[in-house]
Amino acid sequence: MKHKTMMIMGYALLASVLTFSFYGMGQSLASSNDKYGEHDTGEMEYEDSKQHAATKQYPLYVDECGSCHMAYPAQLLPPASWQKIMRGLDDHFGENAELDTTTRQALEKYLSKASSSRSYQKLFRNLGNQAPLRITELPYFVHEHDEIPSRFIQANDKVSSLSQCNACHQNAERGQFDEDDVTIPGVGRWDD
Amino acid sequence: MKPDLTPSICLLIAVVLSGPARAAQDPPRHLQTYRQQGVDQVDIQNGRQLWYSTVNQRSCTSCHGDNPANAGKHVKTGKAIQPMALSANAERFQDAKKIEKWFLRNCKWTLGRECSTQEKADILTWLSSQ
Repeated sequence: MKHKTMMIMGYALLASVLTFSFYGMGQSLASSNDKYGEHDTGEMEYEDSKQHAATKQYPLYVDECGSCHMAYPAQLLPPASWQKIMRGLDDHFGENAELDTTTRQALEKYLSKASSSRSYQKLFRNLGNQAPLRITELPYFVHEHDEIPSRFIQANDKVSSLSQCNACHQNAERGQFDEDDVTIPGVGRWDD
Repeated sequence: MKPDLTPSICLLIAVVLSGPARAAQDPPRHLQTYRQQGVDQVDIQNGRQLWYSTVNQRSCTSCHGDNPANAGKHVKTGKAIQPMALSANAERFQDAKKIEKWFLRNCKWTLGRECSTQEKADILTWLSSQ
């Protein structure tokens, strides 16, 4: 009798532990759904807080735009340029970069606010009412880079284009473009 | 005499340990969505063929490289792209929204049109097997 009771208790223990282990697996699947699924829209809302101050980047922006190219700091173009870029994502410099409406609107809100920062206004000198789509077309940008020989940039395999800010500007993604931070690959420090 | 619970405990340990290991080798859950959308059978060879097909000098391999188990490189910006093969990158194909975003963009860029549900299921199956 005692033997039988112990057996029943043993199987009951096994059954309850199995139940909880399957419950645990279900829970972990549910939480991964939350992480990647439809419940993540709350994280997309851009809040204009100190957390996203001038040189801090919005994680959604880095994730969405930074998967194909460097996540260019929003402050490097005026708000009107970002508006044009975000309206033409289906032909983004020859690529399809379409976004769902929720994501696109969250990024538009971020870009609009972050690019209104006054700290980079010198970049927009002589720009007038133009809204270029490329940072490399800003008159200030052109002026700052016009003395660099093409063998250092276009003909340099490790750089290849002025669009690759971070090839030479070590802290480009943090919005820092001081000349002290410039190291041209294969060439060394740049000082004009 | 005490009952011998050893077989029960062994079974318990085996079941608990085999759970997550088996789940990692499962095909992506997103394939289930394609089945619900009407895909009866997947054609793994068609998935492979689509991956290597070239339209107007564009192919999946333009950015992802010839071997999906290796990292790729964006054809224009040079940005590194992590491997697409599930064996080389277990984080792939876990996020339905992400899968659909990239299928939409990349089918349009590469093939000049959207991929059908059948084609997406075929490609997903082939990449998961790599």
